[in-house]
Amino acid sequence: MHEPPATSPTERLLRDLRTGLRAGLVTFWELARVMVPAYGITLVLQYVGAIAWLARAARPLMSLLGLPGDAALPLVVGYVLNIYAAVGSMKALHLAPQQIVVLALAILIGHNLIVEGAVLQRAGMNAFAFGALRVIAGLAAAALAHLLMGLF
Amino acid sequence: MGQLLHTFLTGSFSLLLRVFLIVIPIMVVLEVFEGTPAFRRVVRAWAVVVRHVGLNERSAAPTLVGFLFGLAYGGGVIVRDIRRHDLPRRQVFIMSVFLSMVHAVVEDSLVFLALIPFSLMALFWIVVYRIAWAALVTLALTALAGFLVRRARR
Repeated sequence: MHEPPATSPTERLLRDLRTGLRAGLVTFWELARVMVPAYGITLVLQYVGAIAWLARAARPLMSLLGLPGDAALPLVVGYVLNIYAAVGSMKALHLAPQQIVVLALAILIGHNLIVEGAVLQRAGMNAFAFGALRVIAGLAAAALAHLLMGLF
Repeated sequence: MGQLLHTFLTGSFSLLLRVFLIVIPIMVVLEVFEGTPAFRRVVRAWAVVVRHVGLNERSAAPTLVGFLFGLAYGGGVIVRDIRRHDLPRRQVFIMSVFLSMVHAVVEDSLVFLALIPFSLMALFWIVVYRIAWAALVTLALTALAGFLVRRARR
C-alpha cells in the first residue's frame, strides 16, 4: 500500500507534483460533472423567463432592505446566474453607495445557487436546503445591515 | 433554441477552463507544500481562528481554500479529503454552512467594492460584517442541528 520512502528532495517533489496533478484532475472531473449540468439548468431557467418571474415575486421584499423594487432583478440574477451577471444588472439601477453595500451583502451570501449547490450536494449536503439557507440568511444579513446603518 | 445550445457550449467551455486553471494549481500547491513547516504554520494559525465555529485542524485546509478562492474549490478539497480520510459528517456540515456564508472573500468583495467610491465603512460591511455574520449563522445552525440529531436519537 505504502510507496517506498523518497530518497531525495527532488524525488519527493516529483512524487508530490504527480500526486497533486492526479488529485487536481480527479477534482476537476468531480466538479465538471456536477457543474456543467447545473449550468445547463440555469440557462434553461433564464430561457423560460424564470428570472423575470422570480424578480417580480421578490419585489415587495426589497423595501425591507431599503431598496427599490427594481433591485430584485440583480438579486435574482445573482441567485440563478452569478455575481458578475448580478453586478451587470445592478449598474442600470443608479443606487446610492449604501444601498449597493446592502444589496451586495445579500448577493455575496446567495449567488450561483444551482452550480455551487451541485458541488455541496457532491460533498454529501442537501443542495436545496443550502440554497434556501443562503437566500434567507443573505436577506437577513442585508436587512440587519440596513437597520444598523440607519442607527449610526 | 440553437442560440441556447450555443450559449451552453461556449459557457460550459469557459466555465471548465476557469475551473481547470484554478483547481490544478490549488491541488498541486496543496500537495507540494502540505508537509512543509511554513504551510503547517499557516494552517494551524487558521485552525486557531476557525476552531471558534467548531472546525478541527483537519478541516482547516479545505476551509481556507474555500474562504480564499470560492465555494466550488473549497468543496473540491472537501470531496478530496472525504475520499482520503473519513471526514466526519458534522465537520462537513459546519464547513458547508460557514463557506456558504463567506467564500472567495478577496475576489467577490472586490467586484462589489469596485462599484462605489472606496470607504472603510463599505469595506467593514462587505468583509468584516460578513465574516461575523458567517460565524454567527454557523454557530446557530450547528447548535440547532446538534439539538435535532440528539432529539432524533432519543
